[in-house]
Amino acid sequence: MQRERRGENAAFLAPMYIFTVIFLIGPFVYMLVLSFLTRAETWGVVNSFTLRNYERILEPLYFNTFVESVKLAVLVTALVALFGYPFGYFMAKLPPKRRGLMLMLVMIPFYTSSLMRLYGWIIVLRANGLLDKLLMALHITSEPLKILYTYPAVAVGMVYALLPFMMLSVYSSVEKMDWALVEAARDMGASPAGAFLTVTLPLTMPGLMTGVILTFVPSMGLFFVADILGGNKIVLVGSLIQEQLMKVHDQPFAAALSVIMMLMMTVMIWLYRRVTGSGEMEGML
Amino acid sequence: MKKTLALVLVMAMCLALLSGCGGGKKSGGTLNIYTWAEMFDQDVLDGFEKETGITINYTNFDYDETMLEKLEASNGGEYDLVIADDYIIETVIAEGLAQKLDRSKLSNWGNINPIYQGQFYDPTDEYTVPYGAGVQTIAYDPAVVSVPVRGYADLWDASFRDSIAITANYRVMIGMALKVLGYSYNTNDLAQIEEAGELFYKLADNIRLIKDDNVQDDLISGEVSAAVMYTSQVTMAKLTKPELEVVYPTEGIGFGIMGMFIPSQAPNADAALQFINYILQPEISAKSFEYLGYYCTTKAADDLIAEEYREFLVLPEEFRADDMEMIGNISPEAAAKQEEIWIEFRNRCGQ
Repeated sequence: MQRERRGENAAFLAPMYIFTVIFLIGPFVYMLVLSFLTRAETWGVVNSFTLRNYERILEPLYFNTFVESVKLAVLVTALVALFGYPFGYFMAKLPPKRRGLMLMLVMIPFYTSSLMRLYGWIIVLRANGLLDKLLMALHITSEPLKILYTYPAVAVGMVYALLPFMMLSVYSSVEKMDWALVEAARDMGASPAGAFLTVTLPLTMPGLMTGVILTFVPSMGLFFVADILGGNKIVLVGSLIQEQLMKVHDQPFAAALSVIMMLMMTVMIWLYRRVTGSGEMEGML
Repeated sequence: MKKTLALVLVMAMCLALLSGCGGGKKSGGTLNIYTWAEMFDQDVLDGFEKETGITINYTNFDYDETMLEKLEASNGGEYDLVIADDYIIETVIAEGLAQKLDRSKLSNWGNINPIYQGQFYDPTDEYTVPYGAGVQTIAYDPAVVSVPVRGYADLWDASFRDSIAITANYRVMIGMALKVLGYSYNTNDLAQIEEAGELFYKLADNIRLIKDDNVQDDLISGEVSAAVMYTSQVTMAKLTKPELEVVYPTEGIGFGIMGMFIPSQAPNADAALQFINYILQPEISAKSFEYLGYYCTTKAADDLIAEEYREFLVLPEEFRADDMEMIGNISPEAAAKQEEIWIEFRNRCGQ
């Protein structure tokens, strides 16, 4: 009986394992191997082992790209936390009916392609676009601002694209919270701010940290935002990888860059586990 | 029961696979064209099908390199006719993936503009027929530009601060600096490339935008006041906003040519030859280049191109072959140097 059950389990699990091997482990091993190979003179890859690809990442040119990407990611994550946390917090405190409505409003833009929504931002930010017209009509500015294709435009686009992840993970954390604990704190004489800082914030930390991971990690790689709203002038690790693959055709170097980026993400997730002490991400499912 | 069902399913799948293969092999009356999207007017393609009874099967690629990879994988088979960029054709020919053209079947050979023949990728014209050529020219809006623009060097002018758009083809862009210094686009001299790089970095303050697709939109909308862009984009920009000025830089122009060739193991090379000959007819060529928006490579078609397009699609009378330089492959070291300059340049643009 027992053995039969186990056999059945294996049969059910097999597709998942096969899927994991083919689509996750396989490509990763391929990438890892590729990152130690040499680029062929014209096209393709030569099978000779080298550490050169990793050495190159330490050259100032490429290392700076990592530094700049991290800087932008930190900025974006901070802004997303600043706007997303209160939003998620208050959304969870709404009466259930309106909460559902808010959730829907947050989700609906996701039905449109993110590329499409970025082009929307171009219409808002471009010279003589909506923003310019508004500012000039209000007599705040007298001539078109040059906002599109600048650093702030990229930051706005990224914050916009990643904000929902923070809202939703904070929301799920706050919603699960036991409000009796806050009441208890208040009864014991804590000020509203004190109760928030000592009770609410620590209890919703997993949600906040999940939001941070879900924002920080993609913002390293969302190169199309930098390309479309930044006019290709802000080089992120993501755009570097894309360019090495599609334009320069240096597949091993692109693989090495990807490996380093994945290592950075792994470190982030490890930190998350250390900080929150939880094994799973809040609000991921 | 379940097993039977699975077996039936597997068999059905095998059948589907087999029939799939069978369909592809029927190449008697099919011409497999492999190139970028939107290279031909549908009327031109339909006309060929009607005239010859051959069915055209049109497949797209986005990048030349994808095409090369496919040709390598199929060992020069699968496709009958490929249209791609000059530099990649050089590699295709070197790898033996193209076949020599049977000129006895190309009665319209004489219609080709000789200026586009005998180029580096096919010096004796044994393998290719040119299909459209492009240059990167400067287009600007005279209403907002105060300095006269005659060549690349004028783009460095301080009055252009934060208002120029360029395409993302770094060979052409760094090439502007090389040209200003009087060097070749294809120099392998690292000192020259580095010198050009230093000059190129100084252009960063003037760059507002780097983009390959639809750069003309930003020039038309006034987001930028000048743009260095491809011929087809200049054509579109001028058609929308005729007051734009187009400049053939005094330093010389970098040319790119697209070529048609037949892969070495093409299943239906005969149909491909018929198609090339069909395209080389003056009327068909004129129609094709009006649609494509690139320079007309069929001399006999020049006079048939409609007045409104002629200015962009036909080389000016005074054009001398010496003014043009093809952008060809360079040594790996030179290429690596240029790649680095390009990334550093973009970093500086963003600051």
